[in-house]
Amino acid sequence: MYRDYTAARRRGRGNGVSVLDRLRLDGKVVLVTGGGTGLGQAMALAMADAGADIAVSGRRLDPLQETKGLVEGKGRRCLTVQADATVTADVKRMIAEVIEHFGHLDVLVNNAGGGSAGRGKTMVELTDEDWHAGIDGNLTSAFVCSREVTPHFLERGSGRVINITSGWGYRGGRNNFMYSIAKGGVIQLTKTYAMTYARDGIRSACIAPGAIPHFVEPDAPNARADAQTAGRLGITYEIGPLAVFLASESADYLSGETVLIDGGAIAAGVLPAGLVPVAEG
Amino acid sequence: MTNERRPEWRVKFDLEGKNPFDLTGRHALVTGATGPLGRALATALAEAGADVSVTTTNDDGAEEVQANSILNECWSLGRKGSAKRVDLTDPAAVNAAVEALEGAHGPIDILVNASHGANIKPVIESSLAEWEHELSRNAMTVFVTCQALASRMLQRGYGRIVNVVSVLHDRGIPNGALFGASQGAVLGFTKAAGVEWVRGGVTVNALGLGFYDGIPGPQSDEATHAVLERYIPLRRLGKPEDLQGALVYLVCNEASFTDAEIFMVDGAIAVHA
Repeated sequence: MYRDYTAARRRGRGNGVSVLDRLRLDGKVVLVTGGGTGLGQAMALAMADAGADIAVSGRRLDPLQETKGLVEGKGRRCLTVQADATVTADVKRMIAEVIEHFGHLDVLVNNAGGGSAGRGKTMVELTDEDWHAGIDGNLTSAFVCSREVTPHFLERGSGRVINITSGWGYRGGRNNFMYSIAKGGVIQLTKTYAMTYARDGIRSACIAPGAIPHFVEPDAPNARADAQTAGRLGITYEIGPLAVFLASESADYLSGETVLIDGGAIAAGVLPAGLVPVAEG
Repeated sequence: MTNERRPEWRVKFDLEGKNPFDLTGRHALVTGATGPLGRALATALAEAGADVSVTTTNDDGAEEVQANSILNECWSLGRKGSAKRVDLTDPAAVNAAVEALEGAHGPIDILVNASHGANIKPVIESSLAEWEHELSRNAMTVFVTCQALASRMLQRGYGRIVNVVSVLHDRGIPNGALFGASQGAVLGFTKAAGVEWVRGGVTVNALGLGFYDGIPGPQSDEATHAVLERYIPLRRLGKPEDLQGALVYLVCNEASFTDAEIFMVDGAIAVHA
């Protein structure tokens, strides 16, 4: 079954464009929610390096200004939008502002979220407020932003949503209900969105970071690093190239997929990190 | 604690304009490179800047012609590399080939196992010899090549290994049992080896295929091909080029925290079920 392939060869591989060019984001506009700090800022900067213009949103303006300065330092344009990703009115305004400012939007990164709601509480201790805070912050925000951007993507016949889940979206943790439940929902949101809009040129993908703390010196020895499969913590910038790949046209045949960046933690999760069993067979 | 209080770590957020996908100075070995799949993977590495060597398996003029044509494409981009005919199930032969290639073109930092054959046949009609052949060409080759290369990579403290795996590693289709078993074996190996070697600077990941044109599998049958075109959510079979970006990401320097994972580049077909 070589027919399509041979035709593609005659036209030139990948339309004659090198893989490094297909990993670029020139001319694209990327919106990163929660883009003022941590992984969101790292993704915004990596995408700006790859040639994209950036919009960042968040509840606080100060961190967004910082990202804006760094992106503009790379010679790319950057728009900051103060918006709460869990509030539909805010999200509608945010998407409209981005499209008005840049003329279009190619990639939405649903990065806003956090793990503090209800953390450490047993099932019995969890309140309705904990439940709603956990679901809203991590899952409702991704849902609302995806819903509000979809008409624009449909109109253009292309678009990409990159969701951010967590290793907690796969595993269960004692007394870590809200984060695990909401992040598990994000994985299913990614799949269902991919299936629903597969024939409209819209793709979705999901990144599941392992332990990539924003405020811990990554190279310094510490107990948390020893407890990782890789023997170290993730470094924030490491999410950048993965996000660039998933946002680029070289990922056109990838959709609905969740990929881990966790130094092997989920694969190895059946044993304590660092334990190397030796047994005669 | 906020970012602002820790200015000395700010550099960790930013690659500062460096192209993370640049593989200049790396030497990659692609096994089973002589099909369309191997060609796409080998040329992607060359386009990204790596020197590329390939292996051939048969004493077969046609395969050698293919290998040379792929190398020509890489050489035309200014890269080095050569082809070696080697039985990938023979550790001594693989070690000798690796030694020769490293002697000629420098240490091999990247191993891509792209050798891929599918026996699509009812279980009842399959023989023990066919089982052994399927496991040997698809899985034993991965063990032998990974062992040979990783032992060197671990000494040097750096390595990237990518094994190509079909979506059938964890899905069952009629007549796909032997092939599926071989793919499950490769993925299990990938995860364990990835965990075993990650602290030594060597990552092992899998590139997951759906149904691709130009690659052996159930799609080689015309009727199945037509059904798949309608069934795959992205409404087409994959082209080997579709894998290039994912491969270059997985083998790049900055992907050292991406380990023991499978990247499915499958037109979302695995999302179906």
